[in-house]
Amino acid sequence: MLDRALVLTRNPGAAYRIYDGQATIVLPEQARVTVLNEVGSLVWDRIDGRRTLGEILDAVGETYEVTPEQLERDVQEFLDALREHRMVS
Amino acid sequence: MIASTLHPGETPAGSRALNPVEDFHPGRDYFAARRPAFGDSSVDLVIGPLRMRLEGLSEPQAMRLEARFHPFVSAPDRVPDLTIAVRRAAVVGFLKLPAPGASETYRLESRPEGGRVAIWSYEFAGWVDPSQGCAELDLAEAEGVLFDRGLENFLRVMTASFILRRGGLLLHGSGVVRDGRAYIFFGPSGAGKTTVTRLSPRDLVLSDDLTLIVRGEGDRPMAAGIPFGMAHHRIPETNESFPIAALHRLVQSPAVKRSEIHYSQAVAEVASSLPFVMQETGQAMLAMDTVAALLRTVPVYRLEFRNDDSFWRVIEGR
Repeated sequence: MLDRALVLTRNPGAAYRIYDGQATIVLPEQARVTVLNEVGSLVWDRIDGRRTLGEILDAVGETYEVTPEQLERDVQEFLDALREHRMVS
Repeated sequence: MIASTLHPGETPAGSRALNPVEDFHPGRDYFAARRPAFGDSSVDLVIGPLRMRLEGLSEPQAMRLEARFHPFVSAPDRVPDLTIAVRRAAVVGFLKLPAPGASETYRLESRPEGGRVAIWSYEFAGWVDPSQGCAELDLAEAEGVLFDRGLENFLRVMTASFILRRGGLLLHGSGVVRDGRAYIFFGPSGAGKTTVTRLSPRDLVLSDDLTLIVRGEGDRPMAAGIPFGMAHHRIPETNESFPIAALHRLVQSPAVKRSEIHYSQAVAEVASSLPFVMQETGQAMLAMDTVAALLRTVPVYRLEFRNDDSFWRVIEGR
C-alpha cells in the first residue's frame, strides 16, 4: 500500500529535461542517462519535494485511464526503481 | 570520481618505475606551489572554433608537438581561448597505474576549487579556470608515452568543456566524409567506430574515436576531427569542418539496415556518448540542451551493420 502522504525529493544532482513528453535524466555521479516513458515522466516531473504521493497519483489518474489498483502497483514499481538508482529519496 | 570508458588505462611499457606506490590526490597545497616550466617555447592549436596555447614547453617538446598535431598548429596571431601553462610535476605520478596486463576504466578525478576545477589522472594533474581562460598542466614525464598521454587526455577534457561553452560537442564517435558531407558513427567501445573507418578506405576520415561537432555558417551543424588521437588512433589529415549528413548509432548485426530513433531516445543516446561533460549537473544540462538543439536538424539512425562496406549502400539508399 502506497503512503499517499509521502513527499519525495529528486536527487539534487540529477540533470533532466523533458523532450516530447519524455524525461531524459542524467545522474552525474553515475554518468548514466535514463529516458522515462510518458507516465514515468509525468510522475518524475511532479516529484518536487512539495507534492504528496497522493497528489501525484491523482494527477496520473486524471490523465490516464487506469484502475486505482493498477496505478498504485505501477507507481510503486516505478518508485522502487527510482530509489534503487538513487534518483529519488 | 569521473569514470570514462574512453581509453582503458593500460600500463605503458617501461613505466613501472614511475608508478606511485599509491594514489596521490593533489590538494590545494600542491596546486598553490610554483613548479618549473620545461622551457619557454609555445604551440598554438586551433580545434574548430577553439584556440588553445600551450606554454612552458622545451624546444624539442614544441617541435615534436608541432609535427604530431599538424595541421592543427597555427601561428600565435590571435588571442587564445585557453592558455595552458605546462609544468614539470613535483611527483613521479598521481594515480597508481593498473598492474601490467590489467584492464581498468581510465580513471580521471576532478574537484571544484572556487572558480577553478582541478583534474588529475595517472600521469598528469592540472586545473582550469574557464572564466579566465587559463589552465595549468603538470606532467610526470618530459617525453614519451606518459607525456603524450597526459597531455592529450588533458587537452581532450579541455576541448570537451570549452567546445560546449561555444555551442558545440565532442562526441565519442568516428567521422567519415563522403561526397563532402560528414557521417558520424557513435556507440560504446566495441560498437564498431574504428571498423567503419577501416571499411571506408576511399573516404576522408576525420576521426575514428572523437569527433567535434561545431556550428558553422548560418548555425549549420558541422563535423571536424581533433588531433588528440594518441598512438592507437589516427590523427586527421585536415582541420577543416564538413556539414553533417547524419548520426548513426552503431549496432553490430548480421543484417544491414537502419531505422530512425525516437527523438527523446536519440537525445539520450547521443548524450550518453559525450565524454567528460556529463559528470557535473550544470554542464550535463547544457550538454543535453545542445544535443537536443542539434537533433532538431540532424537525423539520428540506428545502423545495424556487419564487417563489410554494405552499410554505405543502406546509408546512401542505393
